[in-house]
Amino acid sequence: MSEERQVSKNVIEVTDLSKAYGRVKALSGLTFSVAKGEIVGFLGPNGAGKSTTMRILCGMTGADSGEAQVCGVDLAEEEGEVRKHIGYLPENNPLPEDLRVSEYLKFRGRLKGLSGGRLRERLEATLNLCDLRRSASERLIGNLSKGYRQRVGIAEALLDEPKLLILDEPTIGLDPRQTGIIRKLLDRLRGETSFLLSSHVLSEVEASCDRMLILNRGRIVAEGTLQELQAEYLDNTVFEVVAGGERSVIEKIAKDIDPLCELIDENPTTATGRKRFSFCTPQGESSAESILKEFVNQSVTQTREFNIARPDLESIFLKATKRSWEQTDSFRENLREVSATLQPDEEDEEGAR
Amino acid sequence: MKGFSVILRREVFGLFISPATYVAAFYFLTLLGLGFRFFLESFARTDWLLPPLASLVVALIFGSPALIPFLTMRSMAEERRLGTLETLLVAPISVTAVVAGKWFASYIYFILVCLSALGFPCLAVWLFPEETLNLRLLEPAQLIGGGIYLLAAGSAFTAIGIFASSVTRNQMVAGMLSFTLLTLHLALMAYFHGEMPTDTMGLAPASALRDSLGSLTTGLDRLEHFVVGIIDIATLLHYLVTTFLFLGFTILATARLND
Repeated sequence: MSEERQVSKNVIEVTDLSKAYGRVKALSGLTFSVAKGEIVGFLGPNGAGKSTTMRILCGMTGADSGEAQVCGVDLAEEEGEVRKHIGYLPENNPLPEDLRVSEYLKFRGRLKGLSGGRLRERLEATLNLCDLRRSASERLIGNLSKGYRQRVGIAEALLDEPKLLILDEPTIGLDPRQTGIIRKLLDRLRGETSFLLSSHVLSEVEASCDRMLILNRGRIVAEGTLQELQAEYLDNTVFEVVAGGERSVIEKIAKDIDPLCELIDENPTTATGRKRFSFCTPQGESSAESILKEFVNQSVTQTREFNIARPDLESIFLKATKRSWEQTDSFRENLREVSATLQPDEEDEEGAR
Repeated sequence: MKGFSVILRREVFGLFISPATYVAAFYFLTLLGLGFRFFLESFARTDWLLPPLASLVVALIFGSPALIPFLTMRSMAEERRLGTLETLLVAPISVTAVVAGKWFASYIYFILVCLSALGFPCLAVWLFPEETLNLRLLEPAQLIGGGIYLLAAGSAFTAIGIFASSVTRNQMVAGMLSFTLLTLHLALMAYFHGEMPTDTMGLAPASALRDSLGSLTTGLDRLEHFVVGIIDIATLLHYLVTTFLFLGFTILATARLND
């Protein structure tokens, strides 16, 4: 019973998915899920397998092995059926240049099975939602700016109120204002529609997504909310102090409070002539706060500024992908060593023969 | 076939707003009209055995390599170049519906051009009723026979054009490939036209080839039957098979893009 509920709760259920293009493995044993109404960031370096995963989830291409269910549809059995439940914005968002926005959306709406009053109603709703009604609905798509084109692509994906929206790089090439508009759009739909959002703009994923999946070499290398990822990948709290005191004094005060605290960097600040000291401690933010209190109490430090550096998604992304590369490389090295130790034995055997 | 009518409507709209199709149809019909006029003028002096209306059907068939590429080259190649084919295939419709919709739109345009060409004999009868009385330009049997041949050949020719458009991203390459395939087919028909002498050693293989390829090579001989009102079912079947064959290749080529 609880398992059944779990299935209906998740719009995407992927288990042990694999796909290869010839000898190149694009996906190997990919497993993840996306819950109803959740916005999930799909991150990974180029060639990690993000687009392949998205194409499989859209029913555009098949997997070699594994199971995938999207909106309750088993992709192995009903590959085409899934297209009725999803909206997809591909990378670069290709659009026909010779159609007006309203013509294009009507055409796509009809393809998705909408007609008559329902089509008009959904057209109106998506044009309003994507802020295209007054400004662009009667303009030729070929004459639209990149930001408007992205909004047309998202409006198209939203036309038949899909349960799941798969967006491949929705803000690529957009200026910060246009990125903000797309982000607001996601916020408006938060909780109603599930999103799988692939992007290289990590700040955007950090701001919009409930959860992140980091993919590398065809497998998930990190998964969770930003806080969970921070806890898993960045053990040390880093904090900075701008002070006029001697380095030795500053370091001693910090060490007295927290012996594990380390001074990792020291840079002079340009305007005031004071120095910016960077510390890191494995004891967490409470230890950093105690050190700050002591700096403020002791006038000899001449403390002026203090801040705890929040590790961003970029650091987590780099660390998670680096860890997966290291693991794969060490595995390959071990394999090479094993084969190297086996080879002389084989040679001996051949010699004996 | 869900989505077929939506694709068809969009494609017909696309053809009607494209200047290239108008330009192609205009020049094609102008040349056809002028040719037909001069043919009628000199008909009495020629050794043409068939009815004069047959010349119009032959001109439409042999002129189609100049028209069909303009109707079909854009349909798949342009979608592939822009990447819109990918988004089209994410919609809940089948590849078959996409290909069939695009092919049928080109076919409709081809039929419209053929119907426009029918205006020439009508115009000739209307303007010169006495001079054209003996030419029997609007003989129903000839009109129906010729029309059926044009419908059959047109469906196969447009399917070849759609196939050519599906194997490349470049419209020009698609157009040239379509032109080449159609010209090759018509050249074979022209080469094998008429009775082939089988007693000559050098021409025996040609005769065997002619017999084995059926309507592909004997199409022009069959056309002579059609234009006098004799319907040859084998020829119709041949063009039907060719249409399905090339549309099938196009569906495979399009579906393969996803892998």
